[in-house]
Order: sequence, then C-alpha cells, then structure tokens
Amino acid sequence: MDSSNDDALDIIITNVVATFRTRCHLNLRTIALEGTNVIYKPEVGKVLMKLRKPKITASIWSSGKIICTGATSEDDAKVGARRLARCLQKLGFKVRFSAFKVVNVLAVCSMPFSIHLVDFTKNNRPIASYEPELHPAATYRIKHLKATIQVFSTGSLTVTGPNVQNVATAVEQVYPLLFECRKPLREKRKVN
Amino acid sequence: MLSNTGPVAKLYLSIIHDVIESMRELFLEEGLEDRVLDDLRHLWESKMMQSKAMEDFRKNNINSSNFVLQLPDNYGLTEPEPGASLVIPASQNIHRFPVKNTSETVATFSLPAGLAYPVQIPAGVTLQTASGQLYKVNVPVVVTQAPVGQQPVSHPTQKAPALPSAAVPSSTVHPQQVEPVSAACIPQLPLPETPSSKEIKQQQQQQQQQQQQVPAADSSHLQEVHSPPSEATTGENNLSAQPEPVNFSSTASPSPCSQVLDFQLSTEEKALPQTALLKTKDIDDILKEVIEEEREKAQRDLDYSYSELSDIVQLDGAADNSDMEEEDVVPLEENDFLGMINAEAIKVLQDGDGSSDGNSISSSDSEGADKPVEEEDPLNSGDDVIEQDIPDLFDTDNVIVCQYDKIHRSKNRWKFHLKDGVMCYAGRDYVFSKAVGEAEW
Repeated sequence: MDSSNDDALDIIITNVVATFRTRCHLNLRTIALEGTNVIYKPEVGKVLMKLRKPKITASIWSSGKIICTGATSEDDAKVGARRLARCLQKLGFKVRFSAFKVVNVLAVCSMPFSIHLVDFTKNNRPIASYEPELHPAATYRIKHLKATIQVFSTGSLTVTGPNVQNVATAVEQVYPLLFECRKPLREKRKVN
Repeated sequence: MLSNTGPVAKLYLSIIHDVIESMRELFLEEGLEDRVLDDLRHLWESKMMQSKAMEDFRKNNINSSNFVLQLPDNYGLTEPEPGASLVIPASQNIHRFPVKNTSETVATFSLPAGLAYPVQIPAGVTLQTASGQLYKVNVPVVVTQAPVGQQPVSHPTQKAPALPSAAVPSSTVHPQQVEPVSAACIPQLPLPETPSSKEIKQQQQQQQQQQQQVPAADSSHLQEVHSPPSEATTGENNLSAQPEPVNFSSTASPSPCSQVLDFQLSTEEKALPQTALLKTKDIDDILKEVIEEEREKAQRDLDYSYSELSDIVQLDGAADNSDMEEEDVVPLEENDFLGMINAEAIKVLQDGDGSSDGNSISSSDSEGADKPVEEEDPLNSGDDVIEQDIPDLFDTDNVIVCQYDKIHRSKNRWKFHLKDGVMCYAGRDYVFSKAVGEAEW
C-alpha cells in the first residue's frame, strides 16, 4: 500500500469526530444547571460541554446521543468520550458507554509543490471535480475508501475520512496523481 | 471608589425597608408583635452590615435608630474655639468637621450624614443635624451608637431648637459651670454672716435642693449618674480646698456672688421649665422624631454630604481603600466564568424553557459528510470509565447574578454584555445596570 513517494509527508490530524450513546435519556436542563463548562442551546435542543484535557467539545442530546468533536487523535477521542460519560454519570444519569464510533477524521497535508488543478481534474475526470467559481479547491472522492480530498493549487490538501487509516491511504493514493500535475517552478506550461 | 458602596447600601436598605413594610400587615394579621418585625429588621441589617465589611459602617450609622449621648470621663468646662476646625477624637474613628462660625459666641458645625459614631463633641457647641435642627450641646458629649436592641436610655442634654438670642445661649452655656461656682458661693455666705446663717441656710438648702433638682433633672437626661456627684464633689472640693480664698472673695465681692446666685436662680427657673417641658414630651419620642427627620434628610442628602465628607474623613483600620470599580468585570478568572455560565444558564432557562425535544442532529461542528452510523454495541459498563484527573472546577465565592444582553464566544474567547445585576466579588457586593466583560477559557 505504501508508495515510496511520500517518505516525508506530514499528515496532520486536526479533527476527529466521534459519537457514542449513553443508552439513557438525559435531562438537558439538569446538565445545563449543574454541569461545569456547559453551554445550553435550548433553541436547538442540545447542550455543549467542553473538556479541557483532551480538547473536546461534545454536543449532548436529550436522547442520549453524544457527538464528540475536536480531538486530535482517535484515542484522544475515545478518552475524551469516556471522560464525558463519566461526567454525566457524576451528574446522576445512568450512563452506559456504548456505540462509540469515530465518524470523521479531518487531516491536512501539504505537498512540496504547487498543483495545476485544471490538469489534475482533466486527468481524473469522473473522480475529481473542480468548480473554481464555487470553491477554489478540486474535490477528489475515493469511493472505496469513503474519503474526500480537497486539493488546492498551493499544494495543500485537506482529507476527510471515516478513520485515520483511510485518510492516510487516501493521501498516498492521490499523491502520484498530484505529482503528475504539479506546477514546476520556473517553467511555463501552456494551458490547453 | 468608595462611592460605589454607597448606592449599594442604600439599595439594600431600601429593599429591606420595603420588605419589612410590606410584611407589617401580614405580621399584624397573624397576631405577631411589631417588635418581632423590628427585631427581624435589625437582625437583617446587622447581618448585612457585617457581610459587607466595614465600608458600609458609616452609611448604616445614619439609619441607626439609637444614638446615646454620654458624658465623657473628662468632664471639662472648656469652651470651643470659634472659627477653628475641630478635631474631634472618637474611640474608633477620627473625624474633622468644618466649623461654621455663625455667631461669635456660638460655634456650630454640621453633623454630616456620613458620620461614624462614636463622636466626641466638646461643650458649648450647637449641633446642626442634616435635617437642619439645631441642638445646643451644653456639656461635652460623646455621641455613640448603641448596640442593636438597646433602648436609648440616655437623652441629649438641653435640646433647645433655634435659640433665638445670644444672651440665652451664653446663659445656658454655663448653667452647670455656674453651679459649682454657686456651690462655692453659697457656703461662703454663712461664713462671714453667721447671724443670718439660718435664713441663708434655708436659702442654701432651697438652692441646694434646687441645685440638686437641676442636676437630678439633668441626670435623668444624662446616663452618667456620677456627674452630679462629681459636681457635688467639685463643689465640696471647692469648699474644702478654697475656703479662704472664698472668704476673701466673698468679702470683696459679695455682690457678684449674689448676682451669681440671682443669676443661678433665674437660670434654674429657666432650666426647670425647660426640663419640665422636656419631661412632658417623652425623650424617646423626641429621639425618634429626630431620627426620622435625619433619615429622610440623609437619604436625600446622602450623596451630597457623603461627597463632602469623603474629602474630609480619614478612615482607620478595617475600611479598605481599594478602588474596586463596579464594572471591574474584566479580569475574570475561570472560577468566575463558571459561576457566570451557571448564572447565564439559569437566565436562559428562565427565559425560554427548553423542552429538550430537539432530536435533529444538525450539528454545525460536523466536518464533511455525515456517514451512516454503524450499530456497534460494545456495551462497556460504567466500571471502566475514567475519572476526571483535572478537578479544576470548584465552587467559587465570586458570583454574578444578572441578565444578559449578549454573550459571544469565539473559540475560547468569551465576551459578555450583561445588565441589571449584582456581583459579589471578594466579599463585597456591587450592583450594576450594565456590565461588560471578557474572558478566556
């Protein structure tokens, strides 16, 4: 799976989104009144609870579903989610930590070269799409990995995928394609 | 500045007043005495005063219903210096009052509203309270604040409102000063004139009785009973210590002595009706009237006189001079922040009670597309959970209870626009109508 091109490419995970369930109904008002570091949003019907130690913001719904965002790794997300469940347990709810799942991982990556997006899109026609009027980046979706890569002309990439492994794989997959369409320095290319 | 605590105390006292008054009917209906309500009020006020450190001590003294006039231990016959600013030593505080020289013989000064008791006032000054009443202080007095619940036992001496003439003040200035002199004068009469000693003795007895009546009347006003005995002792001392000079002076000036005696009689006659007048009008009522007037006037003139006072007054000891501004919400700590979040949550909940039915997962934090959730069910039990290893959340004493205009957050920077609130910070209360704050979480 490893293509030898990305020997020194840093993939930085910026966000991990995870959900879990407490298997019990949660009284948002109680959480809002007695919990610490909570923001109550009654208009939406959720409570945001922010944790410091794994820097995490959790959206808590009354049904017991909790979405945990802001973690920097999958383990961090799990630790944070458990801490959160512990917090809710201390508030008096019969919390059972269940159905923990990392839903989304967002990573950024930077290519050492600029990319010619039009060429890149032309070469990867069905998979890549580029609408410069809508968004300055070309979107490359890898279906079997369920990953989405947004390619910017500067060479920066943002990759989102269901887990970290998929994200890494996606980067490796797309690297050679990008390498083909790179904009070499001090070389003029004619735009067809 | 200290001026911040003034309105706070005023507000709190007005709140207490309103509550007590509105309860009065209920209490009466229940059959409880008025005294219970007053006790409650005193308790409340005293607790409130204690809780807000000492800066409100002076404010509360205005509204205190008891002040006790005592003779100082050094009962002296000194006259005040007209035109000089009096430095009046008090047991707790030192105050300087400007002396307004309204007349040549009478030195008056205002008793400012922000006066902190006890205050020692020399003899022969006319006090003008905030309500405008003039009280002639004929003896050196110490004005103190009685503890709560103590009945005003003592009474001010010789209240003579709006003394019209200068002659009368000058005469009433020295009634007690005259007495020892007359006491000295009287026994000298029988010394040279023994044949008429009996008559004079009768006269003397009468006068002594009258004398003792006046001191007795005064002692009923004065708390210190030792004063008449002290007068008597001074008289006797004068008698014993100075018989010979008296003899000399008696031969040399019997007429002044008789004049003094006549004078004494006339002043006593004047004093008696005055005391009689005072006696008929109950002293308690007089005090209460004075207090009510003072209170009303003080509430009106509070700020004015206080600002005047703040230039003059020196505070000792407990009253701090830290310039806590009422809008000093800016450097909030995390603990305050937590309290405020709770307060904000309370307000939010009271405004719009969330029925917590929102099940729509429209999380704005979600990056990328929402994938269908796979139903795994590891069912870890609650035994595996991890403790919060940073117990940075502990209860704080600094609390703000208020309403919010706008609360804004960017990442971890918070901005607060608050209104209509009370902040308890470092033990002191601050009341605000608008507050702006910033914090970092």
